[in-house]
Amino acid sequence: MKTKVAFFDFGGCEGCQLQIANLEEDVLELIDIVKIVSFREIMKEHSDDYDIAVIEGSIMRPMDEERLKKIRKNAKILIALGACACLGGVQRMINQWPVEESKETVYGNSEKIKDNPYFDNFHTKAVDEVVKVDAYVPGCPIDRNEFVRILIAIIQGKKPPLPDYPLCVECKKKENICLFEEGKLCLGPITRAGCNAICPSYGSECEGCRGFISHPEERAYKEVLEKYSISVEELLHKKSIFNYRYIEKKRDKNE
Amino acid sequence: MKIMLKEEFLSFVDGLIESMDVEGVKAKGKKFVFDRLGSSEELRLDYDTTILPPKKYFLPQYETIMKFDLSKQFSVKKEEDHEKRVIIGVHPYDIVAIKQMDKYFLDTHPDDLYFQKRKNTLIIGSNILNVSEKAFFGDMETGYVDSGYDLMITDLGDRVAIEIGTEAGRDLLRGYSLREASTGEIEEVKRIINDASEKAKRGLRVKPQKWHDLLEKSYNSEIWKKQAEKCLSCGTCTLVCPTCFCYDVTDEIDLTLKEGKRIRTWDGCLLRNFTEVASGEIFREKTEDRYRHRFNRKGRYLPTLLGFVACVGCGRCSSQCIPDIADPVNLMNMLAEEVSHLEEKSVSPHTETIIQSTEVEKPLYVPMPATIKNVKKLTKTEKLFEIELDNGRSLGHMPGQFVEISIPGYGEAPISVSSSPDGKRFQLIVRKMGDLTSKLHTMKEGDKVGIRGPFGNGFDLEALRGKNLIFIAGGLGLAPMRSLISYVLKNRMDFGEVTILYGCKEPCEVLLKEEIEEWEKREDIQFLKSVDRCPENEKWSGEIGVITSLIPKVKFDPKNTTAIIVGPPVMYKFVIDDLKNLGMPEENIIVSLERRMKCGVGKCGHCQINGIYVCKDGPVFNYKDIKDLPEAFT
Repeated sequence: MKTKVAFFDFGGCEGCQLQIANLEEDVLELIDIVKIVSFREIMKEHSDDYDIAVIEGSIMRPMDEERLKKIRKNAKILIALGACACLGGVQRMINQWPVEESKETVYGNSEKIKDNPYFDNFHTKAVDEVVKVDAYVPGCPIDRNEFVRILIAIIQGKKPPLPDYPLCVECKKKENICLFEEGKLCLGPITRAGCNAICPSYGSECEGCRGFISHPEERAYKEVLEKYSISVEELLHKKSIFNYRYIEKKRDKNE
Repeated sequence: MKIMLKEEFLSFVDGLIESMDVEGVKAKGKKFVFDRLGSSEELRLDYDTTILPPKKYFLPQYETIMKFDLSKQFSVKKEEDHEKRVIIGVHPYDIVAIKQMDKYFLDTHPDDLYFQKRKNTLIIGSNILNVSEKAFFGDMETGYVDSGYDLMITDLGDRVAIEIGTEAGRDLLRGYSLREASTGEIEEVKRIINDASEKAKRGLRVKPQKWHDLLEKSYNSEIWKKQAEKCLSCGTCTLVCPTCFCYDVTDEIDLTLKEGKRIRTWDGCLLRNFTEVASGEIFREKTEDRYRHRFNRKGRYLPTLLGFVACVGCGRCSSQCIPDIADPVNLMNMLAEEVSHLEEKSVSPHTETIIQSTEVEKPLYVPMPATIKNVKKLTKTEKLFEIELDNGRSLGHMPGQFVEISIPGYGEAPISVSSSPDGKRFQLIVRKMGDLTSKLHTMKEGDKVGIRGPFGNGFDLEALRGKNLIFIAGGLGLAPMRSLISYVLKNRMDFGEVTILYGCKEPCEVLLKEEIEEWEKREDIQFLKSVDRCPENEKWSGEIGVITSLIPKVKFDPKNTTAIIVGPPVMYKFVIDDLKNLGMPEENIIVSLERRMKCGVGKCGHCQINGIYVCKDGPVFNYKDIKDLPEAFT
């Protein structure tokens, strides 16, 4: 019997699911090995009978938490899909400010959103801050080939593969010119590889959308930035794009 | 030396492009790379250095080494690469590196995949016109080579000087007009070579012949730590190095689940997980230890093993290391300040040219098909597999040797043979740990697996004959040791007194319970077992305590007994200390060590303990031979 897979979206742009929809002819092979029972972007049907739940997006509200917990109960395996699900996404930057303050900035002092559960935001959370996650497919957007690799590994009963070395490894293999040499602030040396260094390959510095490796050499990295006259503020800014979670964690540890 | 007019040379290059894959130096932004040439106009003989060395043609960044047909039980096909290729513009220092690579991959356990690519490739070298800022090939004396190329060219502006290295090189030139070089032109080439070498001197105060002694004397220097504090552990220095060859191997399966492939890809000893084994143990976890390893491999370990200093002065590591700690010139000079006198060894980066005289036929990485004949569950996490090769031959192993067991799509793992060498079948005791072993645990009698090996050094049976023996096994260490115990017990008369001590964490982890009962009953051996702890609901008839607590409880003459010790890494130090305190001579202690033995043939680099390869030189060692290796018992 085929493994049943369902896709769910939370706070995010649905771009990661679009990456999977964009597998094109490979989608046919994908549906040959698994049965997709729920996927808003490509089908109307929905079923709550699934083995693997793929969660896209970050968790923003109490109603999200409830929904996610229900999905977790139904699923044997839960995959966090994309930077929003894995880390909290760019929207996590908002955690720098009190929730009420952010709401007021965005919606004004509106009475209309009061007591409306859709606007009942708390500080943005990643999926594994609410439920147990079995596999992560990081990235903004995800690399669809990596999604396929991880899905196949799960079906085969293997540990979902995820590199734990810095992006520099893939960047060097691609024979890219190091962006530090061009005076750019690249998060590659502390970011988890696996995207085949796609941004640096096109001349854009890594923004860390895949999250950091388990043991980033933070101190050495800061020294490098000093050497290239890059300020701590600039680094913090760059880190907070996708990795505000990391900054929060460090801050909590220091407190 | 011949001379060809530049225009003729360019049409020579275009002619090559029409007949084969021509790779040459091209511009990439402000830098240079080796890449496929579409036309001779792209060729930049005035380059200083390339981002990556030409090693990528012989050991590609990603290389399919075999393909699987997963619809069949065990169907593996080696990947062939027959494409004819010529690389134009290889600098002398990179030619030195290629010669080193030849020696590394073809010396012992020749690598057929490497050989095929190498044999199909012609090298047109180019003398150096421009020198990159960090290059120090002048200091290393690698700015000039007289072999290792098919042709060696020097760009003289409107003409190209050509030195013919091989018959294959001469054949390439057939049909193009050449003339003999004049004395003036020969002098001009010499001047270009000398100029480059002079420019590429950066004040290295320790010549490569002295690196060995310097690194040995500086092993415990504080400089390693100080430098490593700046290290990003990003692996760049190893990846861009022309003499770093370490690789990893992974399996991939395509979306149809019907086909898959095994891929070899570059790895680097600076990366944190490089030495990680399935149990999660990392043997070189500190950045400073990895940083030191890289330099020692270049200046000490490979010179001892293969007779060359594995650095050619290209300067790629120093120019691409963003914290700027990879520069061998700086490091050696820094270390030298702390050491007063240095001995010289007769080694240099240069090594003999062996490619023309080498032939390799046997595939190194293709596993032999084998069939599981019996599976027995030993504990919750361990099973014993009895296996037979499908070719009908016996494995031919020695006790203590290991095999690489492989399942297409799940990878390969080194497993010690647990049975003594008799009969066609052999046994493996396997703990469920990673992807491969978890899959293996689901397999049944009749299922197929792949086997490579046996590999490594086993126990020296001749040396043990007639001796009194004490076996000390901790946990899964009993698995490799059992091959020797079985042998000894089957040939009991050939040995003196035999004592077996076995310890594990809890009673439920005891392996080979029935066999252990037999050992307990035997009157011609002493046997004791212990567990670290016994939960209330479990039964245990042995001792309680760590394995060392058993040593004082048995009678043996430490001075006239040989100890065989196998266990988890943490165990060795304690057991060995206790035995030494009882007066056991160091040469009487034999150990078998665990490391990440990925390739099994001394190539991938993962199992290295300082200068030795556990897969090739071990896993069985005499303690005396490795006790001074700082990384052996940490």
